[in-house]
Amino acid sequence: MSTRVLVLDDDDGIRTSLTLALEDEGYLVTGCASAEEALTAVADGAQPDVLVVDLMLGGIDGFTFIRRARPLCDAPVIVLSARQDKSDIVAALEAGADDYVTKPFDLGELFARLRALRRRAEGAAAAEDAVVLDSVDGPLVLDAAAGTVRRGDEQLHLTVTEFRLLRELAGAPGRVLSRRTLLERVWDRGFFGDERIVDVHVRRLRTKVEADPSAPRLVTTVRGLGYRLDRR
Amino acid sequence: MRRPRPLGLRAGVTVSFTLGATALATLAALGTHAVTREYLLTQREETAVRQAFVDASSVRDGLRTSGVTVADVLGAVAPPTGSELLVRRDGRWYSGSLQVGGDDVPAALSEAVASGTAGVTWARVDGRAAVAVGVPLPGVDAQFYEITLTEELDDTLVAVRNALAAFALSTAVGGALLGAWASRRAVAPLHAVARTAASIAGGELDSRLPPTADPDLATIVGSFNSMVDALEEQIQREVRFSADVSHELRSPLTTLVTSVALLQRRRDELPARSQQVLDLVGRELDRFQHTLDDLLELARLEAGTTGRPRARTGAVDLARQALDGSGRPHVPVRADEADRAGAQVDVDAQQLARALVNLFDNADRHGEGLVEVGVQRAGDRVRFLVDDAGPGVPVGERQRVFERFARAGSRGSLPGSGLGLSLVAETVRAHDGTVRCAASPRGGARFVVELPAARAVEPAGAEGTATAGGGRA
Repeated sequence: MSTRVLVLDDDDGIRTSLTLALEDEGYLVTGCASAEEALTAVADGAQPDVLVVDLMLGGIDGFTFIRRARPLCDAPVIVLSARQDKSDIVAALEAGADDYVTKPFDLGELFARLRALRRRAEGAAAAEDAVVLDSVDGPLVLDAAAGTVRRGDEQLHLTVTEFRLLRELAGAPGRVLSRRTLLERVWDRGFFGDERIVDVHVRRLRTKVEADPSAPRLVTTVRGLGYRLDRR
Repeated sequence: MRRPRPLGLRAGVTVSFTLGATALATLAALGTHAVTREYLLTQREETAVRQAFVDASSVRDGLRTSGVTVADVLGAVAPPTGSELLVRRDGRWYSGSLQVGGDDVPAALSEAVASGTAGVTWARVDGRAAVAVGVPLPGVDAQFYEITLTEELDDTLVAVRNALAAFALSTAVGGALLGAWASRRAVAPLHAVARTAASIAGGELDSRLPPTADPDLATIVGSFNSMVDALEEQIQREVRFSADVSHELRSPLTTLVTSVALLQRRRDELPARSQQVLDLVGRELDRFQHTLDDLLELARLEAGTTGRPRARTGAVDLARQALDGSGRPHVPVRADEADRAGAQVDVDAQQLARALVNLFDNADRHGEGLVEVGVQRAGDRVRFLVDDAGPGVPVGERQRVFERFARAGSRGSLPGSGLGLSLVAETVRAHDGTVRCAASPRGGARFVVELPAARAVEPAGAEGTATAGGGRA
């Protein structure tokens, strides 16, 4: 089955060319010119596998769209940013985006990002045993086969990327994983990838799996090196 | 000959005040001393003369009495303490005490008195100052002298002198303090200006001097603030412009790039001539995109808005990662064993790696291929050496290659943006380092990036990426 991509960009040229290019690559594309239109599409049951979202939109902007769309679908979001201001990218990641490319992007790069996110989504379904990560404030159970994380009876709502990140960290308990390593394994990004993507996602992951996100005990920062997951 | 360093403004004012106060105080002290001394001496002389005439008349009266010796008369007259009487008669000296004799009377005085004139003069008796008064006694054929020691006067004068010296000294010190205070006060507004200018230079463009009611300062404050206003406005305009350019150019460029990429994927469907044209468009679009990226990055670097937290990084690792990350895993990094571990720098690793990659690209484009990358530690600096296999850069061109759009021996088939080396220079400068073009021992060009070596202590905020998540972006 083809991968469904929702493209949200109010620039006709970009939307059209992107739609054509993605269709050429075999994706099933829904193009939206405004956030309102895209929100309606998502709410009406168009279940995209990936969202490609421009930040600068008339009406509801990209940041708000991502925040509003997040509860409706946990599909990965790639942000298209024309802005050079790096704080916008962090803001978009904070809002719930998984990755970004800056305009004008190389089509190959965008396809690579899409493939990485898809691989991530599929990889998450690979069979693995359920692991108890935290028996103190919990129990917190990562079930890789089911693709779920549970605290007690409650299923935590993690995005695909957050799940992948947790799985990578849980795969090497007690060992420090550098931002670079996580960037390569979870996002498929090379040396020039932006390490802040990792920081923002770790922060977001903590709000969901830590008892007290401001004093993390499960996923801890190792100063100057990276992050470490300690089973408890 | 070395010229002495000129005094600072404050030191100059202080020295002037000190010298002026010292000169005035010395002059006043000397004058006061002279007047006081003159007055005291005259007073003492007058008293001595009056006393001498009184005593002289007693002696004369005594000598008129017949059958009385000079010694008897002298014994009968009681002079005040400190005064001694002398009488000369028939060439013989008679003294009222053993302490003084005829030798103590100055010759000039005794000659004058002998010729019939009374006189007064200052003398020294046993090294002590004294007033000698001589009165001729014609009726009894004798001369009368009274010598008064003036020790108490000397004491007074010494006390006055000491008091005046102390006064002069304290005035000089007071002058110095006043000078220091006055100059500090006068210079104080300059400190505020300097502080504000420094904070503006440090990027806080909204810093201003506080308004003042002082009419002497109002002009300076006013023109300083309006200068900064103008500067800020200009910078904001440039930032806005580059943001506008960025946005307005990027959208159509994105469409173009995507469409051309789309066409290239369907290249086989096109006739040969169209393929040629497509390649041309693709290549130029690539170059356009590159130039725009570099220009915007350069603008960002110059505006100082890229400040990401720095992290301690091994120089060799950084060079290796830049090589691997840009698809050059076969190029070796040469370094001494000690430098492999020891050469560390505090940098924005991504930004610096990008600068190194620019140097590699430059070597491939203009230097017939990157040969080797070296890392050296030299004192408190760490050097990256990027050597290529080309003919080298002529000495006259070595400065110019870092200028924007300067192309040394451009090769048409491999166009760059013309900004790569300027970007390197700006990035290195932002890291407090230098970059220069030299010759490699093999004859090619060698680009040398020199950065301050990381100090022993981990810099504060090195972990900023983990906790702040780009909050400083």
